[in-house]
Amino acid sequence: MGRIVKGKKSSVIIAALAMFSFASPALAQDKMPPHPPGENSQVYSDPLAGFNEKMFWFNLKLDHYVLHPVASGYAAIAPTPVRESVGRFFNNVNFIPRFVNNTLQLKLPQAGGELARFGINSTVGVAGFFDPADHWFGLKQSDNDLGLTFGRWGIGNGPYLVLPFLGPFTVRDAVGFAGDSAMWPLPYFVPWYVSLPTDAGKAVMEAVNYRSLHLDLFEQVDRYAVDLYGAVQDGYMQRRAHALKEVEQ
Amino acid sequence: MEDNSEVLMNYGIDKKPKLLVIALACTLLIATFASRSLAATDTSALGTTQQFVNQALQILGNKQMPIPQKQAQLRTLMEPRFDFTEMSRSALGYHWKTLTPDQRANFTAVFKSFMEAAYLSKIGDYAGQTVDFLKQTSLGDGYAQVFTKINQATKPPIPVNYLLEQKDGSWMVYDVTVENISIIANYRNQFNRVINENGFDKLLADLKAKQQQLGVSAAG
Repeated sequence: MGRIVKGKKSSVIIAALAMFSFASPALAQDKMPPHPPGENSQVYSDPLAGFNEKMFWFNLKLDHYVLHPVASGYAAIAPTPVRESVGRFFNNVNFIPRFVNNTLQLKLPQAGGELARFGINSTVGVAGFFDPADHWFGLKQSDNDLGLTFGRWGIGNGPYLVLPFLGPFTVRDAVGFAGDSAMWPLPYFVPWYVSLPTDAGKAVMEAVNYRSLHLDLFEQVDRYAVDLYGAVQDGYMQRRAHALKEVEQ
Repeated sequence: MEDNSEVLMNYGIDKKPKLLVIALACTLLIATFASRSLAATDTSALGTTQQFVNQALQILGNKQMPIPQKQAQLRTLMEPRFDFTEMSRSALGYHWKTLTPDQRANFTAVFKSFMEAAYLSKIGDYAGQTVDFLKQTSLGDGYAQVFTKINQATKPPIPVNYLLEQKDGSWMVYDVTVENISIIANYRNQFNRVINENGFDKLLADLKAKQQQLGVSAAG
């Protein structure tokens, strides 16, 4: 569930400031003005739309009836700094895909930075609850994942794909997500009847914690959208296009 | 701003050659007027954006003004700044070509009212955020992008970029990018889906229904 909310985060934070008021009787020119590169200025073919839309509404209902209520209750009892620390803990523990993918993309300073961040935050940062690597040493996080690695290797997105519980992907990003998930070390060291419930618990806690820090996510998208599915789809695709552009620099 | 007669006296007009003094005075006059005119009317894309955003922030931050009045003032302020026809055309993509001029004008008006309702209804949420104006880049002849950042109290800043075009000498906004997501491109995907699944009239109806839900009265 952590995946579903992360995918929606950026598509949604509409600034309090974006005021629009209009009525310009300007003549429509024949040529289209330029949009900056990295933007998805095409419409998406979405061949899996039948499946995707069902999954989208399933996820939305799951969020509405389960995740959001639980996260709200959690937010009511746990103060924000506590929940932010928990978020940092999970972020720290999930460093391996960032390290591996920065290495695969030959971004060695960033890979080294991730390793250093893990070392510093796990020790000085008290098991990752704090982030002295950033605040004291200026070591910023270098977000990266296998989907972006595939993108840099020239693999196209493939069709848009919405998975239950997990949220929006493309086929490429879904394969990447599976690969990144396989980098989680616990299942390799303990029997499945230990790792499976632990990892399920971890996934739930991560999702609830993240959602509790972004409680009005869907309300924001819904307010401004006439087609929620389309808004989320485009938000995801634009966000990924931008992320790919960022790691290519 | 210098008082030029004082300058002339300081340089001792009696002792220095008159020509040098006159040249100096002229230079100072030109410099003074040039800098004043730049400050008063920065007609660059960045300057235009800075102006209307700062004016909007002033309206938002006015604690005495009731919300309906703020909404009215913001409408008047923003009216000449956003090229709504261009936004509609861009948001409809290839569907724009299939519309008659009447349908286009109607759609532009409906989209305008919808956007107004959506954004003006949230101005009560303004909590003292400030805006940093970072830079502008050129996108080609008569097009520019202005980069800004909204600072919030306890959260990381939000990058907001404006795409502007030059029309009749002044800059107008034709797209806004929030957190690297273009608003118009996002609507383009939504509108394309609605038109393909249910037709153009359904899109118009949906926009109007949404605007009603948001409950802000249209400008008319």
